[in-house]
Amino acid sequence: MNDLKKLSRQFWIDNFITVSIIDIFIFSLFAITLSKKILPSHDLYLLVGIIILSSNMLISKFQIQSILMPFKTIWQIIVHLDSSTDLPMPKINQLKYGKDIVKNLNDQIAQLAGMTRAQNKDTLLQQANLKNNFIAKNLPLPFLASDKNENIIYANEAFAEYIGLADDDIIGKNLYGVLDMSFLTENTLDNWLKHARDNKVVASQNWERVKLSVNDNHPTHQFDLSAYYNRDNPEGIETILVLFDHSKQYSQDDQSIGFVALAVHELRTPLTLLRGYIEVLEEELKPSLNPQLLNFLDKMDATAQQLTAFINNILNVARVDDDQLELKLQKENWAEILESAINDIKLRAQVRGITIKYHIDPDLPLVGVDRISIYEVISNIIDNAIKYSGKSNVINIRSYLNQQNLVETSIEDHGLGINTNILPNLFSKYYRDHHNRAQIGGTGLGLYLSKAIVSAHGGNIWITSKINVGTTLYFTLIPYDNLSAEIKSNDLNQITKTAHGWIKNHSLYRR
Amino acid sequence: MQNNSPAKKILIIEDEVFISELYTRALNRAGYQTDCIIDGVKALKKAQENNYDIILLDLMIPNLTGIEILRKLKDPNITPNFTSKIIVATNLEERDKVRKDIEQQADGYIVKAELTPSQLVDFIRTIQ
Repeated sequence: MNDLKKLSRQFWIDNFITVSIIDIFIFSLFAITLSKKILPSHDLYLLVGIIILSSNMLISKFQIQSILMPFKTIWQIIVHLDSSTDLPMPKINQLKYGKDIVKNLNDQIAQLAGMTRAQNKDTLLQQANLKNNFIAKNLPLPFLASDKNENIIYANEAFAEYIGLADDDIIGKNLYGVLDMSFLTENTLDNWLKHARDNKVVASQNWERVKLSVNDNHPTHQFDLSAYYNRDNPEGIETILVLFDHSKQYSQDDQSIGFVALAVHELRTPLTLLRGYIEVLEEELKPSLNPQLLNFLDKMDATAQQLTAFINNILNVARVDDDQLELKLQKENWAEILESAINDIKLRAQVRGITIKYHIDPDLPLVGVDRISIYEVISNIIDNAIKYSGKSNVINIRSYLNQQNLVETSIEDHGLGINTNILPNLFSKYYRDHHNRAQIGGTGLGLYLSKAIVSAHGGNIWITSKINVGTTLYFTLIPYDNLSAEIKSNDLNQITKTAHGWIKNHSLYRR
Repeated sequence: MQNNSPAKKILIIEDEVFISELYTRALNRAGYQTDCIIDGVKALKKAQENNYDIILLDLMIPNLTGIEILRKLKDPNITPNFTSKIIVATNLEERDKVRKDIEQQADGYIVKAELTPSQLVDFIRTIQ
């Protein structure tokens, strides 16, 4: 209050008294000149009067500005303390009037602002403290947060329940120890996090069909996973994981293929026996049978072979889908493999009146292939060519080194052809050309499987086709010497790859 | 095909008689001598006599599993001076554990369902 009195006194002295003295002096002069009629005309007196009035008004303007200056400064201080604006702090020392009062007020305002901020921060901290957060705690989705060391610092009730562990076995434990996850591709949580730490401040990512084996008492969980990464998260939280359970749906998918695989598996032994006995009959009866019966015997054999191929397809698709199809890439002579496969399969073409003609360029480089799996590819593609040959009776197979120095093989039929607009779908699982599906049998697994196998070999597979002219399927294989050094380093002579599939999450656990 | 050397002797340990019948016929026609045993314990005893060049070993046989027979035959403390080649023949979709045993200890591995008798003969011929 003293400050205020001091300010008004200072103001009084500085302005009103000085200005009033000046005014009195001027008016006195004016009065003297007027009484003694010093000036020659009335007009001049009028002019002098106006000048005096105007200068008085100007002085008043400065006075008012001086009065308002401290208020303006205080306003600036308040606006400055509100951190949402970037107005600079006013320079209090340059104030002519009210320096002390503004300084005092500034201190008090700053103190108040500090208190408000602290209060806000407390509220924020409270919100960040997830243990007290109602939403986090009661979120019906399994949810956890981990720190920079990949230790779990928070998990909600749904999470504990989902994986069947007590809080003590979760909190403070290593994320990958608690969540032993397998992912569909090499983009695992572990790899993504490493990448995020090196390149991002915030990042998020979703995965589908993540598998989790918790313990023996709990069946395998399958879920979609969402992760959120923030380098500067409050409370030391680096990563937040949310699990969306789909165990029921995904395991039903697995079971349906699993059951088929089991059933189909049981067919293999009797079928092999059947083929064995057909072989015996052929050996024993060939010299004595008439051509028609011999042809029937061939058809029996071809049909049994076809059934075997079909069964192998189903089993292999099940393996591909569950990452059980392991390929052992070995240094092989492609001409020899292709030729022996064609010889095996040609009976199937022959009994339908189709000849397989082939030309394999000499001097092809050795390729890195898995004999058994690549045989399935050749068998599937030739079977397709046979199926879609229509009335044509030749299938042409060529193998050569293409411009990219890859061993390319083409299988060409001269039959029905395929609409170009459905070509991209042909490699999808269960996909079948609806124009032909009524006439021509099939599962829609052959090309899906072929693509998975060729891709696992590092090659490409594609189709060109023209309606009523025919279809050509191409696939490439990588020469053994060009296979990446990384794959080879596992084993000098043998490279193990999987078609695609479950890759253990953490490098420690990676098989 | 066996030239002038004495016929190679093969022991077929297999409980599916249709299979052993087919294998026996095909191998005999190819010039091999064969014996067939179904029971695991008896098969182990017979194999330990070391009279065979090749043993075709099924994994799913009664009384003693093929894997146990394989381990016992390949363990020099249990079966000293054993020289027969062991070819594991099975229909099992091998689990990793068993496959490791097979890869480490067996001399060869065939999936029965993938080989016809004549293909089996071709395979046996490649074994030196």
